[in-house]
Amino acid sequence: MTQEIQQEIQENDISGARQVLRRLRARKSALAAAIVLGLLVLFALAAPLLAAWEGQDPTTYHDGLVNSAAGGVPLGSFGGVSAEHWLGVEPGTGRDVFVRLCYGARVSLVVALGATVVQVVVGVALGITAALGNRLADSVIGHLTDVLVALPFLAFAVALTAVVPADFPRPVLLVLVIGLLNGVGGLARLVRAQTLSLKKLDYVSAARLAGGSSWRIARRELLPALAAPVITYAAVLLPSNIVMEAGMSFLGVGVKPPTPSWGQMLSTATTWFRADPMYVVLPALLLFVTTLVFTVLGDALRTALDPREASRLRVGRAGRAGRRKESAI
Amino acid sequence: MTGYLLRRIAGGLAVLLVLSVIIYAVFYVAPGDPARLACGPRCNPEQIRQVREQLGLNQPVYTQYWHFLQGIVAGHDYSTGTGTMHCQAPCLGLSYQNDQPVTGLIIQRLPATASLAVGAMVLWLLLGVGTGVLSALRRGGITERVLTWLTLAGTATPVFITGLGLLMLFCAYLQWLPFPSYVPLTDDPEQWAWNMLLPWLALALLEAAKYARLTRSSMLETLAEDHIRTFRAYGLAERSIVGGHALRGALAPVIALSAADFGSIFGNAMLTETMFGLPGLGQLMVTSTKTIDLPVVVGVVLVTGTAVVVANILADVLYAVADRRVALR
Amino acid sequence: MPRHRHTHRIAIAASLVALITGAVACGPKGQGDTKNGAAGAPRSGGTLTVLNRQPQKEFDPARLYTSGGGNIPGLVFRTLTTRHRAAGAEGTKVVPDLATDTGKASEDAKVWTYTLKDGLKYEDGTPITSADIKYGIERSFAPELSGGAPYLRDWLVGGDTYQGPYKEKKGLDSIETPDARTIVFHLRKSEGDFPYLATSTQFAPVPKAKDTGVKYAEHPVSSGPYKVVRNEGDGRHLVLERNDQWSQDSDKERHAYPDKVDVQSGLSTEVINQRLSTGSGADAAAVTTDTNLGPAELAQIGGNKELAARVGTGHFGYTNYLAFNPKSKPFDDPKVRQAVACAINRTSVVNAAGGSSLAEPATTFLPNQATFGYTPYDPFPAGATGNPDKARELLKEAGHPDGLEITLTHSTAQDFETSPDIASAVQASLEKAGFKVKLAGLESNAYDEKVHSVQNQPDLFLAHWGADWPSGGPFLAPIFDGRQIVKDGANFNTAQLDDSGVNDEIDAINKITDHEAAAKRWGALDQKIGEQALVVPLFHPVYKRLVGKDVKNVVISDWTGVLDVSQVAVK
Repeated sequence: MTQEIQQEIQENDISGARQVLRRLRARKSALAAAIVLGLLVLFALAAPLLAAWEGQDPTTYHDGLVNSAAGGVPLGSFGGVSAEHWLGVEPGTGRDVFVRLCYGARVSLVVALGATVVQVVVGVALGITAALGNRLADSVIGHLTDVLVALPFLAFAVALTAVVPADFPRPVLLVLVIGLLNGVGGLARLVRAQTLSLKKLDYVSAARLAGGSSWRIARRELLPALAAPVITYAAVLLPSNIVMEAGMSFLGVGVKPPTPSWGQMLSTATTWFRADPMYVVLPALLLFVTTLVFTVLGDALRTALDPREASRLRVGRAGRAGRRKESAI
Repeated sequence: MTGYLLRRIAGGLAVLLVLSVIIYAVFYVAPGDPARLACGPRCNPEQIRQVREQLGLNQPVYTQYWHFLQGIVAGHDYSTGTGTMHCQAPCLGLSYQNDQPVTGLIIQRLPATASLAVGAMVLWLLLGVGTGVLSALRRGGITERVLTWLTLAGTATPVFITGLGLLMLFCAYLQWLPFPSYVPLTDDPEQWAWNMLLPWLALALLEAAKYARLTRSSMLETLAEDHIRTFRAYGLAERSIVGGHALRGALAPVIALSAADFGSIFGNAMLTETMFGLPGLGQLMVTSTKTIDLPVVVGVVLVTGTAVVVANILADVLYAVADRRVALR
Repeated sequence: MPRHRHTHRIAIAASLVALITGAVACGPKGQGDTKNGAAGAPRSGGTLTVLNRQPQKEFDPARLYTSGGGNIPGLVFRTLTTRHRAAGAEGTKVVPDLATDTGKASEDAKVWTYTLKDGLKYEDGTPITSADIKYGIERSFAPELSGGAPYLRDWLVGGDTYQGPYKEKKGLDSIETPDARTIVFHLRKSEGDFPYLATSTQFAPVPKAKDTGVKYAEHPVSSGPYKVVRNEGDGRHLVLERNDQWSQDSDKERHAYPDKVDVQSGLSTEVINQRLSTGSGADAAAVTTDTNLGPAELAQIGGNKELAARVGTGHFGYTNYLAFNPKSKPFDDPKVRQAVACAINRTSVVNAAGGSSLAEPATTFLPNQATFGYTPYDPFPAGATGNPDKARELLKEAGHPDGLEITLTHSTAQDFETSPDIASAVQASLEKAGFKVKLAGLESNAYDEKVHSVQNQPDLFLAHWGADWPSGGPFLAPIFDGRQIVKDGANFNTAQLDDSGVNDEIDAINKITDHEAAAKRWGALDQKIGEQALVVPLFHPVYKRLVGKDVKNVVISDWTGVLDVSQVAVK
């Protein structure tokens, strides 16, 4: 009996990652989301190939394809869809929308993922330190997050882009600015609050009594328990980061033209949504699909990572709230 | 409790001080000469020199900052040309652009922003927590699904597109609502609410999904916890378990997050106010950032900073009330 | 997509709409006014609503720049002379306002004398005197009230060092008021355009006893047909009502049909245009004085005849161009500059600027209106879409057979002027000719500071210039007069041209008081400068604005290019 338990604990330790993957695969919605995400990434990576396949590039102007006298609205139906331009052309410039969406995916996905990583790493680190550290550390971090939250994003972004050298890669700058100024404060406070609750729980107290170091407790006991809320939050932050990139494009501090990004397309498309709906709907749809994919994946990952889920699986008993059969979203 | 509050208020003041220093520093390094902008489109060097002197910009930046602090504590006298005008403490200085006292400008603009922020927050909490509870319990069927999709779409769409869409749909096409024009609450509460409805909705849709996800995941967590299982084992009514215990536990992180978001709402409020033409602080911030009107920018940042600090103190107190496991520290 | 129904022409449908909007309890000002279109003779009465983006932050006559002073402030301030309020080219003429004529010039146009009309009064009934006009001008020199155009400072004797009446009580000796109705100006040099300058709000009378310095803007004393009765939220909401001391007899230019003008600002472009086109309630009698139709709105109006009939089109003297720094490599070589001029595809550029309805391709620096002295010419003809082969050839001649790497500086503002889209269009056409173009986008303040600094000026950038008044002088002199190179301030002579031939010709034309004769010579000078390829003209913008469906008597002059708010009627 004792041997059995020990063996099981060992097995659990060794194959933790594999188990998580197995549980993920078991969920159809997660699988579907992963496939869609894969397609999106492929769409971004293969942008030059796709452009070559269509026979267009993202920067060439097509003056003949827009009705210049009517404000530059694309000629033809659905925003100028044709055999040459699969998703139509941009109003005013006549640039190919399909290729710009492909290339735009690169910037948007990189900025969104990068900024989310920054947010999660910084937010979790600040939150746990605040909760586990002494009162001084807690109040310093609390005030730091207050400052981050209250800084005027607009003024700051404009000033930063003016101060940072022009050669500095713009996507990296966007990742840092969005990552540090959007959502870190919220995440840090969330993590701190959760950690303070967890600290009082029996198993964490036990670990403390057993003489574990703060770092060890954070890593072994807290991080797994924090994973669920953090992943849920991060899954929502990610699309909001893309939207933020759109906002920065709107202010003219996004990626440099003529490089496209979904955010840049959305921000210039705003005024066109009645005259040329396709031009707005396409990037908006892609953004929505991305949001959906990350929400579903985040959910699935959260459940799969949950240590209690594992124990219940072994015991073979499900919670009455039906947590194993959650809907896709 | 009193000691705790005093400590938090002192900390809050430190946050505001740091914020004002950062803004001064940022504007010091950012491009653009406020004297030139205040002087008009085509000023000769001598005229710019005179204006710079008039605005006190010829002094070193630390002296300017010192004068600013003095004004907050003791007020200031300013020359109007024909006489003097006394700016009472807390005096935030005069606008570079047209010499209006900043304190007055902010007081004029505060009600609109406060209306927007508070109303939108109420709406997104209702929408978000409601959706979250429904989907955690898997109740509500079609309503829950519609709400979930709606909130997700809201998150994935920049507020400048949501806002425009709402305007076109409800004011131009259906004509159910007037084009929003701000009516102060004190003038006519009913008109105030009707005019604010669309701005509230636009902002709430952006934030609601985050709360829906968070409420759902926290509730699932709590429902799976041992004490809930014990309650169930004891045969407690499901309604009392959900309402009294699970929801209460789940609300803790929601409160923590709303405090942080209430502060950071300002960034999106800025875009919302510009979109809907609300005479709020966000609009003031946008125009004064463009014209490098430092006193106005600092003033607005201090006000929003105060909102962040106060919201966080409130949240911590509420959090302790909601989750008895946490003590104030 | 929701589409707005425009059925106002049919009476039944219109009353149906009124019924629906009236039946909905939440409609705030559901007046249900269903009067037809904007036909018929204009009549007095009613309230004109103005929907604007920018609040009227500046309402001090000393602080208003020439362009801003023509809108709402023009209803409150009368000046010595004024714009002729007529449509098209007729509206570029200068006519008397407070004065009896447009000014009597001395032989060399250095001394200008004006006589005030009889019986002029402020809103409080006190008489307007020439001393008040002198005081109003002196105030504009005070650093507290900066913002106006630089001409008074440059032209009046002693203007360059005067610091305004608050610091120097004595006043300016170069403005004499021998009696209460006469005012004499002494200029440092000959200026035939002085009557045009006298249209700006700095020439409005300010009673010294009522001057409250920087606070004067809260309630400026009216000399015009309306007075300010409310000014809320730093100029966000203004209410103007009739000034009963003003009389139509002394003012041939302003009509003042509406009883009341209600100015609401802080609105977004989309909202303004949508409200004007929907036109429910008070919006039916609304105009805007600062918001043009953008390309998307134009596309949307498209085939809708009812809406299209409510669009006013105007031409303001304005040129968007590509500016070189001919003092730095590689643009010190005229061949390289010519290559750029030949390569430009103006069709692409016009499309990026909003299409052919909102921008007209330009080959001359002077705007395409006779009053500026417009003389059609194209020194580097390359057709509507540019001539990359010719450009390549020129580059080869200049010693760059393998192309040339250059940087184009632009601003990041989405303004259809110096915006990224236009920069990308220029980039695309230059790259066809073998240039390798890097784009450098700057935030608008950084951009303004950089392009107008002699030391930091970029090699190649997008620029624009507008007319302070419809004459060749203020269009050419600031850009090409060598004595207007400003070393340590805002420099507009970005080509840094200091050619004694050009300078002398500018001085010679300034002596001419006959506008048409002067215009001819400005046109010839423009052509002479144009051949040096110091700038590449890109396009002249066209302004289109929507008015509410009850608005009548829409007058658009070529002076302002937009509707004249003093002419509209809502009854």
